[in-house]
Amino acid sequence: MSAEARLGDNPLLVLGLGLGATRMEVERQAQLLLGMLELGFPDAATYPSPLGPRPRTPDLVRAAAAALRDPGQRLQAELWFVPADASGDRTPTPETSSPPSTSTSDSRTESIWTDALARLGWGPAREAR
Amino acid sequence: MADSPLYAGFDLGTSNSAAAIFDGDQVTVIRNAQGGAVTPSVVRLDKAGRVTVGARARRMLEQDPANTATEFKRLMGTGRAIEFPAAGVSRSPEALSAEVLKALRADIADQRGVEIARAVISVPALFELPQSAATSEAARLAGFERVELLQEPIASALAAGWREDQGGAWLVYDLGGGTFDVSLLETRDGLLRVVGHDGDNFLGGRDFDWAITELCATKLGGRLARANPAHANALRTLRLAAEDAKIELSRSPRAQVSLQGPLVIDGDELEVDLELTRDEVEAACRPLVERSLEVCLRLLANHGLAAGGIAKVVLVGGPTVMPMVRAAVAARLDAAVADGLDPMTLVAQGAALYAATAGLDGRAAKSTTGSTGRRVWLQYPAVSSDLTPHVVGRFVGGAPPASVTLARGDGGWRGTPASVSPDGGFITTVTLVPRKAQQFTIEAVDAAGATLEVEPPSFTIVQGVTIGDPPLPRAIGVALASNGVQVYFERGAPLPARRTFRHKTVETVAKGGTGSVLKIPIVQGELAHAHLCRLVGTLEIPGAEIKDTVPVGSTVEVTIELDRGGRMAARALVPVIDQVFERVVHLLVPEADPAALDASIADLRRRLQAARLDSFQRRQVQAIERLDKIEARLAEAEKDIDAAHGGDADAAQKARRGLLEVDATLAEVELAHQWPQLENEARSIAIIATSQIGAYGSDAEKKLLDEVLAAIDAARAAKDPAELERQVHLARRLATAAYQRNPAAWENYFDDAASEVSTSTDLPKAEQLVKDGKAAIDRGDTEALKRIVRGLWDLQPIDVAARRMSFDSGVR
Repeated sequence: MSAEARLGDNPLLVLGLGLGATRMEVERQAQLLLGMLELGFPDAATYPSPLGPRPRTPDLVRAAAAALRDPGQRLQAELWFVPADASGDRTPTPETSSPPSTSTSDSRTESIWTDALARLGWGPAREAR
Repeated sequence: MADSPLYAGFDLGTSNSAAAIFDGDQVTVIRNAQGGAVTPSVVRLDKAGRVTVGARARRMLEQDPANTATEFKRLMGTGRAIEFPAAGVSRSPEALSAEVLKALRADIADQRGVEIARAVISVPALFELPQSAATSEAARLAGFERVELLQEPIASALAAGWREDQGGAWLVYDLGGGTFDVSLLETRDGLLRVVGHDGDNFLGGRDFDWAITELCATKLGGRLARANPAHANALRTLRLAAEDAKIELSRSPRAQVSLQGPLVIDGDELEVDLELTRDEVEAACRPLVERSLEVCLRLLANHGLAAGGIAKVVLVGGPTVMPMVRAAVAARLDAAVADGLDPMTLVAQGAALYAATAGLDGRAAKSTTGSTGRRVWLQYPAVSSDLTPHVVGRFVGGAPPASVTLARGDGGWRGTPASVSPDGGFITTVTLVPRKAQQFTIEAVDAAGATLEVEPPSFTIVQGVTIGDPPLPRAIGVALASNGVQVYFERGAPLPARRTFRHKTVETVAKGGTGSVLKIPIVQGELAHAHLCRLVGTLEIPGAEIKDTVPVGSTVEVTIELDRGGRMAARALVPVIDQVFERVVHLLVPEADPAALDASIADLRRRLQAARLDSFQRRQVQAIERLDKIEARLAEAEKDIDAAHGGDADAAQKARRGLLEVDATLAEVELAHQWPQLENEARSIAIIATSQIGAYGSDAEKKLLDEVLAAIDAARAAKDPAELERQVHLARRLATAAYQRNPAAWENYFDDAASEVSTSTDLPKAEQLVKDGKAAIDRGDTEALKRIVRGLWDLQPIDVAARRMSFDSGVR
C-alpha cells in the first residue's frame, strides 16, 4: 500500500473515528455510514483526510471496518493515523447520530502528530489540499 | 402465511443435506418425511423419468446404481453430465442438487406452511468460483427467488457461537463428505470474526470410506482395482457396506461387512462376510486424520498460534462422530472438544441464522401495490450485537412527514421523535432487548401533528452474535501475458468487493475476425505465476463482436465484482471503441483428462528427481523432507489417476488439483535452490534502492525502504525464498519510483526502448513513437516523453511460452 493510501484511506479516517474507538463503535459507525451511503445521504459521501476531502464508498467503509477488526491491521491504522485538520471540513454527522467517539479532532492525537505530514514528505495538511 | 420473518438455511452436502429455519428466537432443524434430520444427497431417476430424492433413493444405490446418483456436489461446476440410462436422459450436477434443494424446501413447506423463496445455502470455504456459480445455478433451477451463499465454516461458527458469547480464539474442524475446512475464529463483544481458514478441497468422509473399502478389498484377496472399469459396480457395493460398517464402528469395537448377494469379479462370484475391528479401521483412516490435523496446525502457525493456544474445537460433519477423530483432534490440538452440538446439522442452523443477518426473509417479497402509506426505505441491521443500533431512513414520493418515532412492539421502549429532513432523510437509534427478535413500529406525523400511514409500518431486528463481512478464501486476479498475476483481491478481503484495474492489450483484435479473440483470464490463488493458480473464468473480447479494430497497446479497464457469497461478475471496458464486454466464459472447473494427467505426473516426477539430486548435493535436509512429502502426494495422485482411467471423474478432479499443488510446492523448492543467486540479487537491489531513494526519494519512501530492507533481512535469516523474492520485487518498485524523478531517467528509458524498436509488435507505430520521442527530447517536454516511452513499452513483444502458460492472456 502506498504511503498516500495509508494516510488518506486510513480506516479510522474513512469511518470518521479517533484512535480510542472501541470495537463496538467501529461496527456501529460502519453500519451507520453504510446505511447513509445506501440511501444517498450527501453528508456521508466524503470524509476529511490530511490529503484533503476524499470520496467515501460502501466498499471503502466495509474494508475499513474489516481492517479495524483485525488486531494487526488496527495497529497499522493507528500507527499511520493523522487526523484531518481540525478546522477543515469534517463529515457532518447528524445530530441524532453523533456519539462522542466519531469526532476526529482528538486533541491528544493532534498534539502527537502535528508535524507528521512534514516528516512524511507531504508538508502541512493545509498546503497539501 | 406467517407474519413475522422466517429465515431459511440449507446445507447442501456431498453425502447428506439438511435444512433449518430461524424465526428470530429459535433455530429449528427441519425433519424430512422419514423423520430424519439429514437427507442423503442421492437422486434417482427411474424409467418413467420419476425423481426420487433422499433415503429412498439411497436404498436404490445398491440395486440400481446406474440410475442413482450421489456425490454429484464434487462435480459441481465441471460441466460434466450424469447419465440415467433407464430414462435415457442426462442431468447436470446442478440439476441434481436442485432436486435435493426442492425436497428440503418441500419439507419446510409441509411443516411450516411457508414456500421458501429466499434463503442461504452453504458452500465449502475453499470452493472455487465455478463451483459457487454452479451452486447458485442449482438454487435458480430449484425455483428460489434469491439466495446468498455462505462459507460452511462461518455457518458452523455462527451456530456454535450463537447462544454463548465466550471470548477467545477457537477452531471449527469441519470434515464433510467431500471436503475438509478448518477455521480459526474469535468472539469478542458479541462479534464473531473469522481470523483465517484453511482446508483441503478433496479430503472428506468419502476418502475414509474408500480407505475402509480398500481394507475390505485387501481382505478379499486384493482382486478389486479402482483402475479397472469392470470392477466399478463391485466396488460401489462394497463401499456402501464399508460406509455402514464405519458408522457401526463409531459405537462398537467390531462390525460385520456382509453382502446379500455375491460380488462378481472378472466373472467369478465371491461371497462377502468379513469382520472389521475398530483398530483396523482406525489404522486405515489414521493418515487421513493426520492430514487434516496438519492443515489445522498450519492454520494455527500462520496466525502465530500453536497447539494449546485455542479455547475449544467445534467438530462438524459425519466423520467427526468417529471416536478416533475426536480423540486425535483433542490430543494433537491440545484443546477441549465442544459438546452438545449436532455435527450433522450445525451448518444448516448457521445458514439459517446468517439469513437473518443478511435480512433474507424466506417468504416471497410482498407486493406493495395498493398501499396508501408513504413509502420509506430503511437501513438497519437485521441482526445486531449492538444494543443500540442505528436506523437510517428516507421517505420517497410525496411530501415527507415532519418527524418519525420508533417504538418497540413489547411496549418496553419508545424513542424520541427524530426530525425528517426536507429531502425525506432521518437517522435515529433503537434500544434492543438481548437475545431476542423484536419488532418496531414506525409512527410518522406531519407538521400539524397528524398521524400519517407509513409503508412498511414496522420492521424486525434480532439481537445476538453477528459476524463481520465474510473473508475471501483465496486471492483473485487477472493472469497477465507475462505469466504474472495482477491481484485484484487479496486472500481475506472482506466481501462484497469490487475493483478496477487498467491493462494494455498485447495484440491487435481485428474487427469481424471470427478467430480473433482477446482473452482476459481470471485466476484464483496466492502464487505469483499465473500457471500455478487456478483458472476460474475468462473474459473474452471477440473480433466478431467489436465495433472497430482494437489496436495492440489499447487500454482495457477490467472490473471484477464479488458478492457476499463469493460469486463473481466481471466486465471489460475498451475505451478506444467505447464498448463493454461482460461475458465470462468457461466458468468451469477445467477438464481433467486422464492422458493429460499422465503426462503431467511424468513431468513432475522428472522435476522431483532433479530437485532431489540437487538437494542431496547441497545437503539441504529440509528440502529433502519437503520432497518426500511431494513424493507421497504424487503416489496418492497416481492412485487417483488410476481411478480416473477407470472412469471416476471425481478422482480425476482430485488428481488435477493435487498435481497443481505439487507443482507449486516443487516450484518453491526449485526457487530455494537458486538461493545464492537470490541473495546476490537482494544485495544488489538493496544497494541500488538505497542510492536511488537517497538521491531522489521522499521521506515517506525512505521510511518504506527501511521497512522493506528489514523484511529482506528477515527473509534471508529465515531462508524463505518466496518471501525474499517478494521483498526484492517491492524494493525494485521503490527504487524505480525514485529513479523516475531523476531528470535524465526518461531519456535513458527512451534510449533503451528505442534500441529495441525492431522487435515491436507494431513497427510503423513504434518508429513514429521514436521520431516523436526525439522531438520531445529536443523541446524538453518530459511529460510527452513519458507517454511515448510507455507507448513503446506497450509495443514490446511478449514471450510466447510465458503467454501460453498464462492461459493465453491478451493483456499486460
